[in-house]
Amino acid sequence: MVLEFRKGAMFVDELRNVTIKIGEITEEEEEWAPMGPTPFPQIETLRDWDFTLLKRYKPFYAPYCDMCCLCTMGKCDLTENKRGACGISLEAQTGRIVDIAVAIGTACHTGHARHMLHDIEHTTRKKLEEIPVDLGPEISEVAPLTQLITGIKPKTLADLERALNYVEEQITQVMDAVHTGQEGSYLDFESKAFHLGMMDALGKEIADIAQICAFNLPKGESNQPLIEVGMGTLDRNKAIVIVIGHHAPPAFNIADYIEQNKLGDEVELAGICCTAHDTSRYWPKAKIAGSLGRQLKVVRAGIADVIVIDEQCIRADILYHAGKMGIPVLCTNAKAMHGLPDMTKRDPKEVIKYLLDGNPGAVVLDPLKVGEIAVEVARARRKKREDIKPVLTEEQFMNYAKSCTQCGTCTIACPEKIRIGEAMEAAEKGNRKELEEKWDVCIACGRCEQVCPKKIPIIDMYNYAAWNRMLNEKGKVRRGRGPVRDSEIRNVGAPIVLGTIPGVIAIVGCSNYPNGTRDAYTIMNEFASRNFIVVTTGCMAMDAGLYKDEEGKTVYEKYPDDFNGGCVANLGSCVSNAHIHGAAIKVARIFAMRNIRANFEEIADYILNRVGACGVAWGAYSQKAASIATGVNRLGVPVVVGPHGSKYRRAFLGRPYNDEDWMVYDVRSGQKVRVEPAPQDLLVAAETVEEAIPLIAKLCFRPNDTDKGRAIKLTHYIDLSLKYLGRMPDDWHLYVRTESDLPLAKREELLKELEEKHGWKIDWSRKKILEGPIRPYHAGFNPTVVERLFKQGFSSLAKK
Amino acid sequence: MPKTYEQPFDAANIPGPKMAMLLEKGKPVSMAVKKAKHPLLIVGPDITPAMIERVKKFAEKGVTIVATGNAISKLAQAGINAKYAVLHELTQFLLDPNWKGFDGKGNYDVVLMLGTIYYHGSQMLAAIKNFAPHVRAIAIDRYYHPNAAMSFGNLWRKEEDYLALLDEIVADL
Repeated sequence: MVLEFRKGAMFVDELRNVTIKIGEITEEEEEWAPMGPTPFPQIETLRDWDFTLLKRYKPFYAPYCDMCCLCTMGKCDLTENKRGACGISLEAQTGRIVDIAVAIGTACHTGHARHMLHDIEHTTRKKLEEIPVDLGPEISEVAPLTQLITGIKPKTLADLERALNYVEEQITQVMDAVHTGQEGSYLDFESKAFHLGMMDALGKEIADIAQICAFNLPKGESNQPLIEVGMGTLDRNKAIVIVIGHHAPPAFNIADYIEQNKLGDEVELAGICCTAHDTSRYWPKAKIAGSLGRQLKVVRAGIADVIVIDEQCIRADILYHAGKMGIPVLCTNAKAMHGLPDMTKRDPKEVIKYLLDGNPGAVVLDPLKVGEIAVEVARARRKKREDIKPVLTEEQFMNYAKSCTQCGTCTIACPEKIRIGEAMEAAEKGNRKELEEKWDVCIACGRCEQVCPKKIPIIDMYNYAAWNRMLNEKGKVRRGRGPVRDSEIRNVGAPIVLGTIPGVIAIVGCSNYPNGTRDAYTIMNEFASRNFIVVTTGCMAMDAGLYKDEEGKTVYEKYPDDFNGGCVANLGSCVSNAHIHGAAIKVARIFAMRNIRANFEEIADYILNRVGACGVAWGAYSQKAASIATGVNRLGVPVVVGPHGSKYRRAFLGRPYNDEDWMVYDVRSGQKVRVEPAPQDLLVAAETVEEAIPLIAKLCFRPNDTDKGRAIKLTHYIDLSLKYLGRMPDDWHLYVRTESDLPLAKREELLKELEEKHGWKIDWSRKKILEGPIRPYHAGFNPTVVERLFKQGFSSLAKK
Repeated sequence: MPKTYEQPFDAANIPGPKMAMLLEKGKPVSMAVKKAKHPLLIVGPDITPAMIERVKKFAEKGVTIVATGNAISKLAQAGINAKYAVLHELTQFLLDPNWKGFDGKGNYDVVLMLGTIYYHGSQMLAAIKNFAPHVRAIAIDRYYHPNAAMSFGNLWRKEEDYLALLDEIVADL
């Protein structure tokens, strides 16, 4: 029953023995902006927008499996246009599997956010409504995704919880739709994947803003301290605690314990994967041992005195490998308990003794107990051990190398197809260089070891050959700074939209690279050196910091960490990716004065046509990476992935030759206009880094670019193609609308090529293009792909 | 467990009931190319100098060559006049029966593939197998590609045997 009280006086007389309980009090939302058309959108709400995207960027399916094995009527063979017993086609089934993958990723970030709110209340002893959403004086648009999607502008973490409740419901609804006998259209599966991707973005924003506000992590300030990264940075004289995962409150407690007990000289705290970023955001003395691809290498090197895991991206066989090294594992999150006993309610000293008695590990789900247990176990174990040295002796190494029969089974098992046998043969002959070099390419999945008929411990072989490299792996990463400040957007909003800052490159995601970690550095350095805005998060942010230029500087020492051209800003962990969406949304809000409140379609349309941003997830491996990419795709931002990315089964690839796919409305002229393919794709895999770099530059073109901006973007596209592929791109002319789009230094040469190669008509006396471009350039071009906006206009908050 | 020769080069890459016919001779490939109205050879970056020499011979026989990834630089250095495409984008075009091809003469009916990054190439072949009935894809790589219509076996450690197969195809074109 709901009793609704309105303004006025209420008198209750003569009531006895009546108890009035008040549950939730919902305050009326502050009218911070007019409510837009789509607050709390449901599955169907943004379907038209999705279908607009899906028409241009036709889903490309590369099934990983040609069957469906999800119900007992199967297995069903879906090849050659056959349908399954339930009637599903292979296209729809592949879309369905994509939905499931994206739902897993979304649930991960959202579950992380829910867990964060629980841990915040538990560890701070505060209620969510007591913790303000305050990101400092330079950030007024505190939660752009929450504002855009739900219409809520959160004042406290309790407001974020309202948004979180909504996300959880949407995940449930979409997962309902993938059950057998529900959705049957691949397009609708993709629309649902977009919906989940958007939820993923919202879940990430809630998780990160909550931890920033509750634990006082950096609030977008530039000039963050440099954090040490690399296995070589760990001080082996100290007791070493390695944390792995993504949910950092237990690691915060470890840091607190070290500080409170003044153990900094005795204990080292380092992390793997995003929990490392977030721990250093809380406590900058924490180090980053490495990215996901280093996990097994670190564990098997025996560097850790104790391993603390929380959630996500932890090896499922962590106990096996840690057990081999005699390292106890402390599980701190109910999502990853690995069959260990739950000792949460035991006295920490009892748990410490249990772990030191040689037991493989324990579960302790109270983050406030983790610090003492982890640190004291590590300290006790440190006292008993000598310096860390390779697991293998020289004799064992050589014997194993000799025992390799070059059967090739390991290569067939290897995701990177490393010729392990050849490296073993070289090692046997005294050349360990190959094994050492491949140590970096190896993502340490361990599949090779399992199939080796000679039982060669291949990870240990790699670690032995690369031991010196490992000990010297010492880099630097800027501490994750969190959100982009409104003041920064005021500076760069115009240059981004006009194109004079040639693009925003978001270098994110995991470390399943096709050819080692250096690519992360190469991509980052290339774009930062060309005045692009580079933002980064997660494993790629870590791996890029492992390399140095000729002057011995990492990209983080070479470039400032502002959100500006020629800068590299590490925003933080996976959940900090939300601030990249946020920056794009804030360009629409702050520069263009668009109303972002519950107005997703209009803002995504704005970004698609005007904000030259491109995501790069060169080593994407996880379902979370799938949900992250799908989320930014719905917002109109393209993503380039590495070649492993095609295993996600679905891409969004445009067909530039199809006129009807590239029609936009020009609000200025009232006409429908065929535009250049900008951006050509929404999700595309490149094969090599040399291919990826010009492709990333190309995906920064936008129809709204000014001629000056377009000339800058063309310069980079052509330069990068020449530099990395040794040739002019075949399609550069598609992006030329007028002669002033051409880079000044090459204008005559390019006009000549347009005339000779592409048959354009040129007036050489005026050096003007007379005929040829897809469309003419007009400075006032005002594009939208949404018919509603074309007819009704944009929602501006500008004072008239 | 299949013999190593005809095992997918990614051990677990078993797509389903429809897997490539194993080729032990070059003849079926040359026959397919000769019968084709519009053949195309896709060349990826995982290639050796000896393979590039054979690619050159395909070009000399009039087969359109498209390089993907950074293979374009390697082919250019070898003096091969190849087209360039991002393999993912190219495959999307191949799925479209209305695509006009590199020469404006229409889509390709027989596509040969070698040198692509194995797992990525395999995904592209899966797309063609399932969604491009107008295209017949043949893997003439050093690895068994289950998603092709026909494929050589795993010859990555028997380069001479592999090159001999390529020579056999070229000689018969």
